[in-house]
Amino acid sequence: MKLLLLLTLPALAQAQLTQRGFLESSAQLYPDTTANDSGHVVGESLFRYEAFYKLIDLSFSAGFDARFDTHRETTRDLDFSWFDRTRQRPLFAIRQVGATYTRGKLTVEAGKQLIRWGKTDILTPTDRFAPRDFLNVVDNEFLPVTAARLTYGTQSDTVDLVFEPRLTPSRIPLLNQRWGTPIPLQEASPDFPAAPQYGARWNHIGAAAEYSLSFYNGFDHLPLFRLQPNFAVQRFYPQLRMYGADAAVPLGPVTVKAEAAYFISTDPQSDDYVLYVIQLERQAGEWSFVAGYTGQATTDHRSTFGFSPLRGFARAVVGRASYTVDTNRTVSLEGVVRQNGDGLWLRAEYTQAFGQHWRATAGIALIRGDPTDFLGQYRLNSQALLALRYSF
Amino acid sequence: MNRKSLSLICVIFPCLLHAQAPRQIIEESQRRGRSASQRYEGILEVIAADGKASSKSWQSLRLGSYGNSKTVIRFSAPAEVKGVALLVVNHPDRASDQWMWTPAIARDRRIALQDRSTRFFGTDFSFEDLEERDVDQYDFHFVGEETIDGAPCWRIESRPRQTKTSQYTLSHIWIRKDNYVAAQYENFVKDQLVRRLHATDIQNVQNIWTARALEMTDLRRKSRTILRMQKLEYNLPMKDDEFTVQALRR
Repeated sequence: MKLLLLLTLPALAQAQLTQRGFLESSAQLYPDTTANDSGHVVGESLFRYEAFYKLIDLSFSAGFDARFDTHRETTRDLDFSWFDRTRQRPLFAIRQVGATYTRGKLTVEAGKQLIRWGKTDILTPTDRFAPRDFLNVVDNEFLPVTAARLTYGTQSDTVDLVFEPRLTPSRIPLLNQRWGTPIPLQEASPDFPAAPQYGARWNHIGAAAEYSLSFYNGFDHLPLFRLQPNFAVQRFYPQLRMYGADAAVPLGPVTVKAEAAYFISTDPQSDDYVLYVIQLERQAGEWSFVAGYTGQATTDHRSTFGFSPLRGFARAVVGRASYTVDTNRTVSLEGVVRQNGDGLWLRAEYTQAFGQHWRATAGIALIRGDPTDFLGQYRLNSQALLALRYSF
Repeated sequence: MNRKSLSLICVIFPCLLHAQAPRQIIEESQRRGRSASQRYEGILEVIAADGKASSKSWQSLRLGSYGNSKTVIRFSAPAEVKGVALLVVNHPDRASDQWMWTPAIARDRRIALQDRSTRFFGTDFSFEDLEERDVDQYDFHFVGEETIDGAPCWRIESRPRQTKTSQYTLSHIWIRKDNYVAAQYENFVKDQLVRRLHATDIQNVQNIWTARALEMTDLRRKSRTILRMQKLEYNLPMKDDEFTVQALRR
């Protein structure tokens, strides 16, 4: 016992506990009603807490979200869902919990965590372990996945291996609300895959460029739909294999970032396709500009009905400009315009910090287009946003 | 040696002395400030033109020195940027590489070459100001001798060589004669003075004379930022593996 105490005391002496979080309340104001939603205002509050405990080679993380909204996008039930597979957002959710072991060039992480791949900003085709909450489609956030991740790397070369035992799907719009389909549908229980997914990525940082190759085998976190004999619609997540590449090349006047992925599937209802993004970045004083094009080429068309914002935002010109007014204030404008002109999404946002803890955000989002276009179908969901965040 | 040759030497020698000495002074200043590693906790106070003040704090770890070093900066305040980290990898033969880690989206992002004139997190330091100056990437010449805060200094002009990408056309550096600490920098774009860095609270820390307070004034915005270094330590054991992109997320 004494020996154990002697061995652990030096480690405990160097242990570090850090924590952070925020409470954010927001209101989305919709001037238009939709066929399946007569509401004009959605209010939401989110409390997030994250704690990190670091020993010498080992660190632990834990975090949770508690949220509530006026529109039942968040369930009122106290059911606990580790894999985040519920239709509505959970009242309480584990944001992260896990352990990280570091030894030299090796890092092993296990638990619920965010895993991000890719280099582009507006659309990231290779970001396969990053499902999102698409309840509000254009205003989405990443969902953590339960996975084991092994990273071995130097400054110039890094190999990343990921194993996810069960799929965490992206959360799609609720059928009875404004971001859902206006056609009344009966939904059957979803068909979630039971098999695991895995992937590998190699990243190289060179003098002239940084680039990586990636591979993923598993299931799409975005669903396709199939019709059941009772005419109910069932979500399912098709098998998916991805071969991807991304690069960042700093040139004189701009930095070029590109990302491409080839997706193939053994599922008879799933397309084979290529998604690619090329974007240019430039920083000029307090201005930051990102502009690019997202493209798509379907090599084998098989799917009929699905929900894929990733493909829905493709074949479009995308851009973002932001201006840092001063330490506390930022203005930004971002947008997506489909190349055929059938869909448009523009968002302008102003944020201001007050003191060490408070930040207020005001913004407007404009959505226009043809009802048959992925973006255009949400043309009645233009909105104004007000948010107040207290961070600690 | 005839009188003509002697006169020629008398004219040329001071010029030769001035052509060599400024670089030697800068090299000596850097030699005295060199350490295997450095760690400090920085408290930043940003004072806007209208007098409104805000503060930030970070922890800085540096491995290596001058032109061949790696630095990790982790923000601890204000609350909304807690955990944001920056990795700067300086190269002796080319511009440094920089990556930023944003924990809220679990993403590392390479910062582009032309970004270096951008203000660092809304402070009056630009990204370039946080880089170390490699003497081989600049030409120096002697301007004169002046006093800063009562201490006699050499005033040296430095201009980036064509191979060096810099937002500044030239800089004037005041090096204290007593301890070779850089007491002040004035950075120019063309002929306009745009930023002034004033170093104070100069202390001997582990036999290295160090300015523990740096005040950067942005003369175009009329704002200033004061960086105070606390818990400053040199030559701590640090591993190379702590200064990689993957280490940013640990």
